[in-house]
Amino acid sequence: MLFGRGKKNPIKMVDKKVEKWIYTTCGYCSTGCSIEVGVNAEKKAVASRGVGDADVNRGKLCIKGITEHDIFEASGRGVEPLIRDSMHDDYRPVDWDAALDKAGSEIQRIQEKYGRDSFAIVSTGQMLTEEFYTLGKLTRGVIGTNNYDGNTTLCMASAVSGYKRSFGSDGPPGCYDDFETTECLMAFGSNLPEQHPIIYWRMREAREKRHFPLIVIDPRVTMLAQFADMHLPITPGTDVVLLNALMHVILKEGLEDRDYINQHTNGIEAVEACVKDYDPVSAAKICGIDEDTIRTVARLYAKAGTAMSIWTMGINQSTHGSDGVVGINNLNLMTGNIGKEGGTSLSITGQCNAMGTREWSSCSGLPGYRALENPDHREEVGKFWGVDPEFFPKKRGLTETDIFPAIETGQIKGLWLVATNPMTSMPNTARIRKTLEKLECLIVQDSYVDVETTQYAHVFLPAGVWAEKEGVFTNTERRVNMVRKVTEPYKNSKSDLWIISQMAKRFEQGKKVHFPETSSEVFDEMRALSKGRLVDISGMDHDKLEAARGLQWPCRDDETSNDADGNKVGDPRLYMDGKFQFPDGKAKLIPLPYIENNEVPDEEYPFWLNSGRLVEHFHTRTKTGKVANCNKFSPTAFMEMNPDAAAELGVEHMTYVRVVSKRGDAVVLVQLTQRVPHNMVFIPFHFHDCVNRLTLGLLDPHSRQPAFKQNACRIEAVDQEEAAKLNVELRNY
Amino acid sequence: MFQVRKDEPKYAFLADPETRAKNAHGKFIELADKASKLHGHSLNINNDSSISDNPNRYKQHGFHFSADNCIACHACESACSEKNDNPGHIAFRSVGYVEGGTYPDYQRLNISMACNHCDDPVCLKGCPTRAYTKFAEYGAVLQDPDICFGCGYCTWVCPYNAPQLDPVKGEVTKCNMCVDRLEVGLKPACVTACLGGALEFGVIDNSPENRDQTKLDIPGFPSSDITHPNIRFEQKRSLPREMSRPDTMPLKYHRDDAKNKHVPVVDEGKTKVKRLWNLRKLLTSHENAHIVFTLCTQTVIGAFMLLMFGPLVGLNSIEAVKADAFLPLMVTMFVVLSIGMFKLNMHLGKPMRFYRGFNNWRLSPVSREIAGVSLFFGGMVGFGFFSLFEHPVAQALAMAAAVGGIIGGVAGFYYMYKLYRIPARPYWDHWQTGSSFVGTALVLGAAVFAIVGGVILDTNALMSILPQMALVALLGLILEAVGLWAHARDLRKNGGEGAASHFIQTTKFGNSYWLRNGLLAVNAALVLVLMLSTAPSIVFASVVFVSLLASAIMGRALFYVLVIPTTMPGAFFWKNQGFEEHARETGLANMPQVGVVPDSH
Repeated sequence: MLFGRGKKNPIKMVDKKVEKWIYTTCGYCSTGCSIEVGVNAEKKAVASRGVGDADVNRGKLCIKGITEHDIFEASGRGVEPLIRDSMHDDYRPVDWDAALDKAGSEIQRIQEKYGRDSFAIVSTGQMLTEEFYTLGKLTRGVIGTNNYDGNTTLCMASAVSGYKRSFGSDGPPGCYDDFETTECLMAFGSNLPEQHPIIYWRMREAREKRHFPLIVIDPRVTMLAQFADMHLPITPGTDVVLLNALMHVILKEGLEDRDYINQHTNGIEAVEACVKDYDPVSAAKICGIDEDTIRTVARLYAKAGTAMSIWTMGINQSTHGSDGVVGINNLNLMTGNIGKEGGTSLSITGQCNAMGTREWSSCSGLPGYRALENPDHREEVGKFWGVDPEFFPKKRGLTETDIFPAIETGQIKGLWLVATNPMTSMPNTARIRKTLEKLECLIVQDSYVDVETTQYAHVFLPAGVWAEKEGVFTNTERRVNMVRKVTEPYKNSKSDLWIISQMAKRFEQGKKVHFPETSSEVFDEMRALSKGRLVDISGMDHDKLEAARGLQWPCRDDETSNDADGNKVGDPRLYMDGKFQFPDGKAKLIPLPYIENNEVPDEEYPFWLNSGRLVEHFHTRTKTGKVANCNKFSPTAFMEMNPDAAAELGVEHMTYVRVVSKRGDAVVLVQLTQRVPHNMVFIPFHFHDCVNRLTLGLLDPHSRQPAFKQNACRIEAVDQEEAAKLNVELRNY
Repeated sequence: MFQVRKDEPKYAFLADPETRAKNAHGKFIELADKASKLHGHSLNINNDSSISDNPNRYKQHGFHFSADNCIACHACESACSEKNDNPGHIAFRSVGYVEGGTYPDYQRLNISMACNHCDDPVCLKGCPTRAYTKFAEYGAVLQDPDICFGCGYCTWVCPYNAPQLDPVKGEVTKCNMCVDRLEVGLKPACVTACLGGALEFGVIDNSPENRDQTKLDIPGFPSSDITHPNIRFEQKRSLPREMSRPDTMPLKYHRDDAKNKHVPVVDEGKTKVKRLWNLRKLLTSHENAHIVFTLCTQTVIGAFMLLMFGPLVGLNSIEAVKADAFLPLMVTMFVVLSIGMFKLNMHLGKPMRFYRGFNNWRLSPVSREIAGVSLFFGGMVGFGFFSLFEHPVAQALAMAAAVGGIIGGVAGFYYMYKLYRIPARPYWDHWQTGSSFVGTALVLGAAVFAIVGGVILDTNALMSILPQMALVALLGLILEAVGLWAHARDLRKNGGEGAASHFIQTTKFGNSYWLRNGLLAVNAALVLVLMLSTAPSIVFASVVFVSLLASAIMGRALFYVLVIPTTMPGAFFWKNQGFEEHARETGLANMPQVGVVPDSH
């Protein structure tokens, strides 16, 4: 029998009264999920769901996407422009004209007084591609500073650098579909289930249908490591040694693809000479992976019909980041696993539009993967924009990680930060704090007024967030996808595109150069500039992108990018024809001698300090820290520590400790777990005034990306009540 | 009707081409055949009167969880909260985990859990308001917040922590199986959102595509014997011998080779064993209303029974009180019981709905307790009132009221005990709960006579009352002590959550626990002195009373604070009681996005 009331009340289920579902692309990571946001009759965003027929996510979303409609009206949004004369004054709310006038005149004052490059601009991977392009146009074509970079230097610079060194151009050659056919997958410092849950889902579905070996290289037993057929708990920062050893075994045992090497690459001799020194016995002593395992993995990877490697920050955020990427590319070139279904190097990107900024922001050069160093490129872009090509610098300027030291030493006097939060995201944040104090003018353009940089700013420009604007994002697999506007920018905030083009009007030259008003007009400019380039998007437009649920580039405006029905399709992979972007069309195999330069644990600082991501948070928590259904899973800073090491120090589970490095200290709650080795602690990087107070961040010589994950620290006891108080005080969200 | 999208992916649709006849517990999976009256009704979801043609509509459905696959990505939890528009502090589904091994041979087993829509829904049986219904449609156990008055008893009896008491709204809500989606052939939102290939849903005991196990338990999951939950598991990877919990609960799971599974054992190693007082936590718990209610009610029922039956067993001093201090005695009992009942009522999330407490008298011990205590209250008042008149009719009415009071008192007392015999709360599920209640009734019931006598009567009368009442109290104390001794012995012996409670009572609340035990012994000695004394002083008697009361309050506070339910393991922050308390103490909870509701007092 069934129990309960004879006369039942109607069942009440929540009805959000969605009137319209608006297509857009998720604004968190670079997986590039298609998402529909439901708005009710009051035009308020109330629901989110994955788009069922989108190839990337096939109806799925991760926790951040599912809760994404909550970010529009989350606390801490900027509601009006603010200015002040000194960082010690209170802000005054002003109208947009006054704020932009002040910003524009300060930029010009500083440039006139100290020179064109004394004003720096640091942007982001968060804006729409049209906005990146426009900011690049303003910076390169109007303001003319060469100290212009994006925060992608903190996440993807090593991948960019490695792709350029190996293939002659940036651009991830593979795609998610490669999971469907690969016969071996190697993941370096990439924890898909936590960092890119949807890509993990795609990989897992493929692996459930057709099992293929998964090898995970990570010093921590991440969730992905648990599912690996082989987990290689590597010594931090030694991936290049492991890669060299793998190549050593492959070459020694003749497992390489000689035909491919001969036809499509240069430099095998130098690599052969270099990897001679990295026999598995010697390499094992450095990288901590035993010789048998090295041999097994090398044979497995080389003998697989197709094999692919993915990586994330475990490779990029290292002093050998760029070398690590080149090493992976070497391995794949050597085994013929580039431009092949199931055979690829695929960097898994962090920010929603890190790819967009790489392609179109002009941060490291000129739009469409063009280089400042190339006179033809300067000429071409100068003409297109109506700017004298001589106005462009002939060489790339400083990267983000070199801009801050240049402020410290006085070469740079003014800074415009666009949607990035170096107070939390840069290594050694105490240094950043002191650096920002030195600025004569700091302009912060952000969706959030409670972003920590506003403590030092003179002008705050409130920007719209994500789908309060319209334009495109490019994802990890080069898929350009459409972000439709779901709601108007919050209160008196404005789209970044509007802010940037209005800023242009404050400059004499900005009045001469054309800045289109709508993002689709901007997109048309980009299409025109992309024609014939590797990053060819000439076959796309906003409507086609939405209809196709995103298109991969290259996607040309001729029949080579048409399917049987005449619809546009992009190339799923790059370099299928074995032609690379170097003048001779061949890829480069580059020797990678390993130099030990990390800060390693010693007697005084006996623990490795590692940092990384949590699934429920995004970057510096300005978004997810305010969404209860994300934030509650880790609402405050904590540290994973090995229980045996903790027992030796008398540290208990769920108590506070002070972590000390040569840079400073941080107070965190301890979570004891065997997920980390005895001599390592792990602290998520999302929290303000936390792990990045401790990190050294040595720079990679090629990419200038900091090594966030290889530092040394010690653990000290701390008064529990004081620590708890401090922990509450340090964070507003 | 829920709208199915044009591009709805295939994995979102229910797929049970074949079903079994009986479930793993031998029950029919079909809950209502075509002839049944339960067939062919609309669920009236949001007043939509349509009836689904889902072919398996009348079959018991349930979740299938492949524990090896769960990645703790929280997609299921957030999809659920998104659909049900839940604020941060409420979750119908939660993911916790256990972990074990030594680096790098480390394994974490995540467990995603919502309501299991049990065959034997203890929530439904326990709920005094009949807010719960088990539907023939899908076997869904649904709860109606509009009926609920927020007593939270369902959250006590559920072994899986499925019903969620929202202290902000003052009502319980829970997983609704997404019956609106089932009606149109779609799986629940959480299942559709799963990214690890862990969570599935369908007709119970069907194994999903690519899965072959339909196990009844996994480490960390409370015994399925209690309620026959409609969840099945797959867990094939071999696990470390010992799996620990990341929350502060002193429990871990140890492999029992004979049973071929992991069983809960006390985790003494998580924190350094310190014996503490924790008085503030003990005396400011949110169960204070229950401390006051049970103590007051037991005192008054004890006193009333003494009044009725004391003289029959030779306690003649009671006659003296009855003769010379009847009105003060009855007023005292009335006041004490009123305080208790007021406190109980005001602890409800929705006190104005108190009258619904009787609704489920057929099934709920809470309803029966409330009915019994109410009848007792009426009987006691009636007896007191009619006894004031000498008219034979009044006397007859007084007698009838007394009989009513006795019946109500016995019933109320019994169900007050019965409602704590919850299998999901092993610390309470012991006869000691009863011996403690009876002990309290004897000790404090006797104290009522001693006090009323002491205040109203002359010294001579008191000299006869005190020794007799001391004897009654002594019996009560002995009963309490014997019960506690057996309780501690059995908790240790039976292991699991009960043993964990015992561990906490001897460590975190160790000083308080031993003080209460010491007080019991001292009190026994004191009442013995009082009993044997030929000329007991009023001052001494007052001291004894204070000591008795202190011991009773402390004992009852420990009873509430020490209980550890057989719930699922939490995570490091989410569903970790230790963190929740910390967040409240430090003020982290004042930020709503922390997901912990700050203390209201």
